[in-house]
Amino acid sequence: MDKKITTQSIITFTKNNLIIVGIFILAIITSFVEPNFLTVGNLQNVMRQFGPLIMVSLGMTFIIMGGMIDLSVGGIISLVAVVTISLIDPIGQAAALMVGVTIGLICGLLNSFLILKGGALKQAEALFLTYGMSVVFTAVALIYTGAAPVFMSYSKTDFSIFTAIGEGFIGPASTSFIIFLVCLLILYIIESRTHIGRSICLTGGNMIAARLAGIPTEKTIIFIYAVSGVMAAIGAVVLASRVTIASPLMGKGYETQAILAVVVGGTALTGGKGSVLRTVIGTLLIILMSNCLNLLGVTTYIQYMLRGAILILAIWLDNRKQYSEGN
Amino acid sequence: MMNTKITEPITRILSAQKAPLAMLLIFITMLFFKTPFYTSYNLIDLVNSNSTLLIVAMGFTVVLVAGGVDLSVGGVMTVSGIIAIELINSGIAIPIAVLISILFGAVIGMINGYLTVYQKTEPFIITLGMGVLLTGVAQQLTTARPVACDNPDFQNLANYKLFGLVPVLVLVMIVTVIVIVWILRSTSFGRNCYAIGGDYEVAKYSGINVLPTKTLAFVISGVTAALAGVMLSSWVNSGNSIYGDTTALYIASAVVVGGTSFAGGIGGAFKSLLGVMFIGLLSNAFNMLNIDSYIQQLLVGLFIVGIIWLDCYGRKVKRESV
Repeated sequence: MDKKITTQSIITFTKNNLIIVGIFILAIITSFVEPNFLTVGNLQNVMRQFGPLIMVSLGMTFIIMGGMIDLSVGGIISLVAVVTISLIDPIGQAAALMVGVTIGLICGLLNSFLILKGGALKQAEALFLTYGMSVVFTAVALIYTGAAPVFMSYSKTDFSIFTAIGEGFIGPASTSFIIFLVCLLILYIIESRTHIGRSICLTGGNMIAARLAGIPTEKTIIFIYAVSGVMAAIGAVVLASRVTIASPLMGKGYETQAILAVVVGGTALTGGKGSVLRTVIGTLLIILMSNCLNLLGVTTYIQYMLRGAILILAIWLDNRKQYSEGN
Repeated sequence: MMNTKITEPITRILSAQKAPLAMLLIFITMLFFKTPFYTSYNLIDLVNSNSTLLIVAMGFTVVLVAGGVDLSVGGVMTVSGIIAIELINSGIAIPIAVLISILFGAVIGMINGYLTVYQKTEPFIITLGMGVLLTGVAQQLTTARPVACDNPDFQNLANYKLFGLVPVLVLVMIVTVIVIVWILRSTSFGRNCYAIGGDYEVAKYSGINVLPTKTLAFVISGVTAALAGVMLSSWVNSGNSIYGDTTALYIASAVVVGGTSFAGGIGGAFKSLLGVMFIGLLSNAFNMLNIDSYIQQLLVGLFIVGIIWLDCYGRKVKRESV
């Protein structure tokens, strides 16, 4: 690696990381146009939005590294949120939390069971199956609450844990940020220090070769979907605690945002390589972008549009890069 | 087609003719319930209300047969309907507005085709992104509210009844089905689609011009989705950014029920027609039986998962038996 920064190296870097550079330019422009951008209040705001999405994205990273995809996380978030919040009164908050995370785990296991038993090991097949499961999970959430939102503040018993997750601080950092750091640490250790992490990468790189080499590919797929389900459940708890409401449609759109965050971070959709650390950067960039656009007065509709455009662009550019490396 | 199959073993019928048999089952079941199911009004409405989905399903089938997949159909449908209404509201003649909307669909199909075929990206994730993008466009165009058309003639595009009986919408649907059946069965383009979907490399080395052929499949899907969007907007006389929300999933499962496979190279337009009509019939029967709408959503979701799972499972068994 050349230590000197030359114009040439800047151009190459920009070419390889077009989206990252684009978002940085956007942030710089915003900080000039809108003085509120660099205030403590706004940055705290960014961190708060960061909470739920990063959990889902971290789980999605393992899925995509393993060469699969999970569109059911939106449904899982909705289901876990309504069940957890509604159970605070009858069984107490700690038990409700456990139940919520268990539901996420069960949903993830259900996904992996369907995928393995059905042999839906191609990404496209897994996409459709989990898309269908998302409809099922959302429908269960809708039936469970009768389509009405569940308000945390109506709970008669103590809900201090949820308030702490939603608004509390441990030292200078918010509780949700601490939860994020713990999750990140655990997932990073699994990814870089254990054989499970290697198995995920090998399974994503070439499933048949991995199986022939003795990698337990089926167990790996069960593991990544279970992680994705649990992380979606944690995301749901963080989200519901922050907004103090659980609605049966609140998870909608999180699946595409999570995929976007993972892909923008630089984890290849084709599987086999990537890192949860990259996803942290990707998620930060996505949140930063929407924060900048909000401050600049761009409508949510155009932001939605941009999200689709960036997803397409990111995958296209990544594909081109891989082809040029291959040749 | 049914008559020749009935004599064959039941397993064979079940594997080959799932949709018609299931439809028959629904028709028989509904005999035992006192509902307005067997009224001419309901049955005509059934065809009418599924016409737009049928039109989308036709193009979707072509892409699926050619080994691709197009998840942006819902987005194309929504945006083209809104474009048509907005153009007519701004004083442009109806035929030109409709033409521009359909052209829009073709352009989106071309972009999808370019990115997935020429640039070799995964079609499902690119078209998923395109769907998100187009939903954003639709919301921006309408500020997420339904828009109505000022010109009363626009409604007639779908609702005018020929001979006082058949709505134009149904006629457009029938013509689309015939055209796509003809394209897939009797043109060299259609046969090439089967070859490409069956085995891309073999098709390429057999001298088929794979790149333009597969791209054209995406263009056809865009055009039918746009046509369906215009007809839908005319039928209900409004454009709304939420119309296309779950269309892609719904169509995908309907097409797979009909017998077209995600693997590509297998299936046909007529089969997709049966598949869409079956799912339409199912939800109609649910409505007639007064089943709660969220339970319906759950049942349809489970049904979709089941059908797609069976499709995958069938291929898994085939892979393992070889």
